[in-house]
Amino acid sequence: MTVLLHLAWRIFRDSPKAFLRGAALGVTVLAMGAALLGLSGWFVTASAAAGIAGIGIGFDFFRPSAGVRFLALGRAGARYGERMLTHDATLHALAMLRGRLYGGVTRLPYEAQTRLRGAEALNRLTSDVDALDGLLLRLVLPAISVTVVLGGAFALLWWLVSLPVATAVLAVFLLGGGVALRATARNARAVAEADETALQDLRARTLDLAQSRADLAVAGALLHREAGVTAAIDASARQRNGLERVDRAGGAALSMTTAAAAAAALAVGGMQAQQGAITPATAAIGFFAALALGEGMALLRRGLAELGRMESAAVRVMALASTPARPAPARRADPVPGAPLLSVEALTCRRAGAARDIFAPVSFTLQRGETLLLTGPSGAGKSTLLSILAGLIAPDAGAARLMGHAIADWPEAELRDILTLVPQRSALIAGTVRENLSLALPQGTALDEARAWEVLDTLALGAVLRARGGLDTRLGAGGSGLSGGQSRRLCLARAILRAPKVLLLDEPTEGLDPATAHRVLTGLRRLLPEAGILIVSHRREDLGTTPHHIPLFPATTV
Amino acid sequence: MTDQTQRKRRPVSPAEAALRRLAAPIAPALRRAGWLSAVSECLWAGQAAVAALAIGGLVSGQAVLSPVAAALVFLALAAVRAGLDALAGRLAQRAANRLVADVRLQLTSAARQTPRADRPAPAELASLAAEKAVMLAPWAARYQPAMTRARIVPVVLLALTAYFSWAAAIVLFVAGPLIPVFMALVGMAAKEASERQMSEIGSLNVLLADRIAAIADLRLLGAEARAGADLATASDGLHQRTMKVLAVAFLSSTVLELFSALGVAMVAVYVGFALLGEIRFGAWGGPLSVEAGIFLLMIAPEFFQPLRDLAAAWHDRVSAQAVAEEAGEAQRAIAASGTILGHGAAAEPLPPAPFGWHGLTVRPGPEAPPLHFPDAMVAPGGALGIKGPSGAGKTTLLAALGGLIRAESGEIRWGDVVLDDETADRIRAGIGWLPQTPRFIDAPLSEALTLGRPGDLAAALRAARAEDIIAALPGGLSARLGDLGGGVSGGEARRLMIARAHHAGARLILADEPTADLDPDTADAVLAGLMTLRDIGAALIVASHDPRVLAAMEQVLEIAPQTPDTEAEAAQ
Repeated sequence: MTVLLHLAWRIFRDSPKAFLRGAALGVTVLAMGAALLGLSGWFVTASAAAGIAGIGIGFDFFRPSAGVRFLALGRAGARYGERMLTHDATLHALAMLRGRLYGGVTRLPYEAQTRLRGAEALNRLTSDVDALDGLLLRLVLPAISVTVVLGGAFALLWWLVSLPVATAVLAVFLLGGGVALRATARNARAVAEADETALQDLRARTLDLAQSRADLAVAGALLHREAGVTAAIDASARQRNGLERVDRAGGAALSMTTAAAAAAALAVGGMQAQQGAITPATAAIGFFAALALGEGMALLRRGLAELGRMESAAVRVMALASTPARPAPARRADPVPGAPLLSVEALTCRRAGAARDIFAPVSFTLQRGETLLLTGPSGAGKSTLLSILAGLIAPDAGAARLMGHAIADWPEAELRDILTLVPQRSALIAGTVRENLSLALPQGTALDEARAWEVLDTLALGAVLRARGGLDTRLGAGGSGLSGGQSRRLCLARAILRAPKVLLLDEPTEGLDPATAHRVLTGLRRLLPEAGILIVSHRREDLGTTPHHIPLFPATTV
Repeated sequence: MTDQTQRKRRPVSPAEAALRRLAAPIAPALRRAGWLSAVSECLWAGQAAVAALAIGGLVSGQAVLSPVAAALVFLALAAVRAGLDALAGRLAQRAANRLVADVRLQLTSAARQTPRADRPAPAELASLAAEKAVMLAPWAARYQPAMTRARIVPVVLLALTAYFSWAAAIVLFVAGPLIPVFMALVGMAAKEASERQMSEIGSLNVLLADRIAAIADLRLLGAEARAGADLATASDGLHQRTMKVLAVAFLSSTVLELFSALGVAMVAVYVGFALLGEIRFGAWGGPLSVEAGIFLLMIAPEFFQPLRDLAAAWHDRVSAQAVAEEAGEAQRAIAASGTILGHGAAAEPLPPAPFGWHGLTVRPGPEAPPLHFPDAMVAPGGALGIKGPSGAGKTTLLAALGGLIRAESGEIRWGDVVLDDETADRIRAGIGWLPQTPRFIDAPLSEALTLGRPGDLAAALRAARAEDIIAALPGGLSARLGDLGGGVSGGEARRLMIARAHHAGARLILADEPTADLDPDTADAVLAGLMTLRDIGAALIVASHDPRVLAAMEQVLEIAPQTPDTEAEAAQ
């Protein structure tokens, strides 16, 4: 619960005015509903009493009946306003939350970021954000409205009816509502988490079966694996049934609370009326107002049903959104004059829990205008070495220096200005080619179109893009719409537009025919004459007359 | 009320028809749940009567029921109603969950048998079976019972109202049907807009997911802040558009509330004036009694309640229809793509024998023209290379040989045994499968390699020279790789696949481009692994471009391109 309140407070702070106005209207709606039914009950009962007493002519029926009409119309209007305000504020808050979540993800360590790439993790993340849209709309704001209106109703009932009636109504609502809230809150999170876990398990198993069905069929394991999916389907249905049992119990408790409050008002008010302490019409006010306050309970019920799901989503979202900032280097790094762009000494790395290093210690230097080729068998750790040089992961032994300073000593922004890595599985984003290329530029800078076309033409992409809509060609999610080789070259173009001093390329020519590969690599040097370029490739022939290559060997088992 | 007759006249939309087909098995349970909740709602009339008698007694001084007794009966009836509601909820929700489970089972069992890995796309299938199928439940559990209630409760309450006062009944009778009319008018405007908005909210999630998936690249480009700002701009734009939609959508529920509130207010005012004696018409023979007046006032809101429930559940219906349609499409696509031969169950392998085919014609896809393959035969310990340009059908041939795609004509034989539904599982029990893209099931590596078969995994890893790969993995054999072998390199993944074939004791290896995208040294290691399988008596059938691989084969079968070479173009 604490995490929900904490998150609610954060969301509230994003647009306090809108939420306060929304809450005020929410209170108005509920109060007008109670007033409408209370007034109607009083009006009918009082009219009857006046009719029986034969004083119908003297009875002021205009004001009550006008009041009934005003409340009926006003309530619908207030409800409309409340919905617009609170939804507006919630949409705003969710946009901020998405932004915070994104901000938190940017601060995660590299390994954690790569784990978020999978469909399952992304799916969970977005469904968590969606689960939280009801936090203020259906839980916090109704809870506020109900509390305020209950308090107001207590005061009004005391004034209009009597203290015993007011006390009875308030006590029943507080007690019943409290019991329902506590019972639901205690079970909800565990049940909702079990339900969500069962769903994600089902999803993973279905995906697995669908992806591996050929392998499984040939291995004769298809039926066995399908039985696992069937079990997951059953488990998910069971968890859902459990979740709904808790929800039904909460709903029953809330509807009984309303009935008990109305019954209490009827019994206490009726007895007082029999004793002559209040009029029957006044007693009716208490009964009808208690019935109308039940609407608040119904509002709370929906929020309660989502409580568990929201709580578990909030825990994950808050954890991600409050990712601590990456450790910043203690001091500024100024390039050491005369130092090579990159110098690597006896560098090696080991995966956590693995029995040996990934590669044998490696040393080399990279100078301005130099191109180096990093070669080695598949699995020797070429990509890992590039990640270390790009400051994404830390080496386990040895040193890597950029312009004379250890890579870890460079502030993130300056490091990225100097050095750019184009990984093997580079990702584009949904949007236009222009938007994708602009990502490479400092914020607020517009793309220099002439330079962009020069780079695209050099990389043999110009003709393809001109035929499809130029820089405004739209790409789908993950850059879909381009072939593998085209998107790789677009990623390369993006990196070149940054004009880095050091460019690290992981398999830049994979998926290209030899002629295009040669054109791309020679063009690269022409576009960045001053840069030091380190290329990982197993297609040595693409590079023509590259001066040096650095072999990387797998480490031997120790 | 009017829905029954409307349904007969109005043609059912395809989406609604799909939904009803899916829900047919649980329809009786939903009807029972609807009736139970309708009875519960009608019991409100009993509660209203008790309260009316008590308050009326106070006014007239002739109490039929003391306030305390009335309160107790009122409470007892409420308890019965809560019980009925819980029962109805349980019935409907369990039926809804059964519906969801049934749809999931149908989808997975159908998808299991489809021959091609990409149709329907695994990710879409998983999302349909998981989070989308769930959206059928609220429709079954909320909308359907609300529909039943909307047909019963207003009629009963209208009759009760009319019993006491025809004037009050007319007020309800006029206000009630006006609601659906006005809601339909507003709803029509809102529907299209809200559908657009739903898909846009989805697209905002896609936008976020897209950026998070690319976060490592954004960091390398120093573009984290810039992409974040883009996200904020997109969110703001969506926010503005969504509010415009909501402004219309909320109008429809406001209309509903307005009419129900006005209906209740008019009944209240009528009853008040009638009791004052200002109005002398509307009741049957004589003035309205106090009890009747209060009773009418209390049941008026409940007259509108089922309609409000129905309106609240309207979205459930729209989204359930969309899911039902999508499930129907997926099932049609699955049905169109045919089934694999046999069941894919474990079976006793056949003794080693020559494997061959003749007169083979296979369609690569349901709409594709059939491809003809030249005959060939490979003996145990033999090696057959299959060569041909991209798109010539090498992968299709291998899938047909493994019984994963049905041949249009021709015969595939393992010795004397012809590949068909009866023999497919036994023939496959002797086959080792090396797809071009290695796949690892979501399980510890030991299980992903054995796939549940008994045998000596360590020996298999040794034979495939894959022990060093395991040693470099965190957790060794208990490591979980990504589905495409994330965690090991492409060459390592292929060597693990060879170890898998070793472990399975495969007598025939079907390998698709085993050296594609590998450097020469790694390609040699993979080829050597294949050759050790042949040396222990397995037959090899290897589709490849690689001249070195083809040179290692005893015979090479060349497949000529038979269709315009679109696949090769797409690959560029």
